[in-house]
Amino acid sequence: MSDLTFSRVVEDASEALSLALDRELSGHAVFTPQDALLLDGDGAGVVAFADGVPTHVVHTGTDRGGSAALADLAEPGPLRVECYAGEDGPVPRTDRTAVAPDTPADRLAGDDDLAARTRAAADVEDATENVDAVEAFLADEQKVEAIRERAREEAAERAEEWGFEDLAED
Amino acid sequence: MVEAFAVASGKGGTGKTTSTLALGMALAEDHDVTVVDADTGMANLLFHAGLADADVTLHDLLLADSDATVSDAVYERFGLKVFPCGTSLADFRAADPDRLRDVVADLAADTDVLLLDSPATLSSRSAVLPVVLADRAVLVVQPTIPALSDGLKVQEYAASYGTGVAGVIFNKVQDPAAVERVAEQSERYFEGPTLGTVPEADAVRAARRAGEPLLAHAPESDAAAAYRTIADAIDVQDTAADTVADRFRNAVVPEQP
Repeated sequence: MSDLTFSRVVEDASEALSLALDRELSGHAVFTPQDALLLDGDGAGVVAFADGVPTHVVHTGTDRGGSAALADLAEPGPLRVECYAGEDGPVPRTDRTAVAPDTPADRLAGDDDLAARTRAAADVEDATENVDAVEAFLADEQKVEAIRERAREEAAERAEEWGFEDLAED
Repeated sequence: MVEAFAVASGKGGTGKTTSTLALGMALAEDHDVTVVDADTGMANLLFHAGLADADVTLHDLLLADSDATVSDAVYERFGLKVFPCGTSLADFRAADPDRLRDVVADLAADTDVLLLDSPATLSSRSAVLPVVLADRAVLVVQPTIPALSDGLKVQEYAASYGTGVAGVIFNKVQDPAAVERVAEQSERYFEGPTLGTVPEADAVRAARRAGEPLLAHAPESDAAAAYRTIADAIDVQDTAADTVADRFRNAVVPEQP
């Protein structure tokens, strides 16, 4: 069973894919180009996600899958995104519909940063399932302190940029 | 007397909204609690609180030409005052963040605990603002390297802007014994204590499907019990309501990204 967790019109495919990635959607999302609504409907793209990473795609108008479905869906402009959480959904998880993690970001949005973030998320899922790796990370005091230090520097820099200077501590 | 908490994670998918409502309900046993969807760009709270059909939301109060009042956008649900955001992109665009400060300042005057469900990112100033405004942050992390790294980043941002850390919640935990060790090890880096660990549970997913907070949908579940323990571990400070309200009113106004 799938449940609707989110529905909104967004500006472009990059924003739509970012939404799913940031919320680590496991389930599927329906991308309906708003032009299609106006033009009496050419179908929608349905993308399956695992932890925010796209895995399979079909297009309801052309019934094509994978990269071909992305080509059918690729048009600029706003689209409605409906996110459904849950294992099932209208996307068959087959070779015909499979896509690489970064392909939708590349083909639909031409967004290199998003493609890189999606690849990283896909790798991360493999790398951090086990607690041993997390413990090893926490044991590396230098590494963790470096992360904290960098964040403090970033926060201080941005304080200025964002107009929070009065709050930032030296 | 009021304390404002930002429930924050720096990373999506850690169960922040579930945690916000669960903490809110648990804290509501002893306090008057108001929950605000401070993630104005990505409305989420309404789907968790059975408010998907809410007519008036926070966004309506943030529109320059709005005649909606605070009382129109507050929903009394599950023993809480819930303040959801709407899902309209147009309303979000038109929203004036200057008004958010004032709205939240008004709320602070009339509650004991203010929980701000904060955006899962540090990438814009409107996303960071709830952490800036809060007295303390509650960090929701999963026992993974990226989630812990992001939790630490939020902590450092919070500290840089004078916001403390109330503690850390380990959420969606699959192996509680192993995560005990992780939590223990992480304590030397976090400025607040480990408040508790919440098991990964079907009850949480079922609650979300039902559009109900976990503590309303499955009050007897282990996950619900974990959130009650966590709420008990938070010692709510009494800050004068006008101090908090003033801080909100005087906070810098973020521009739209």
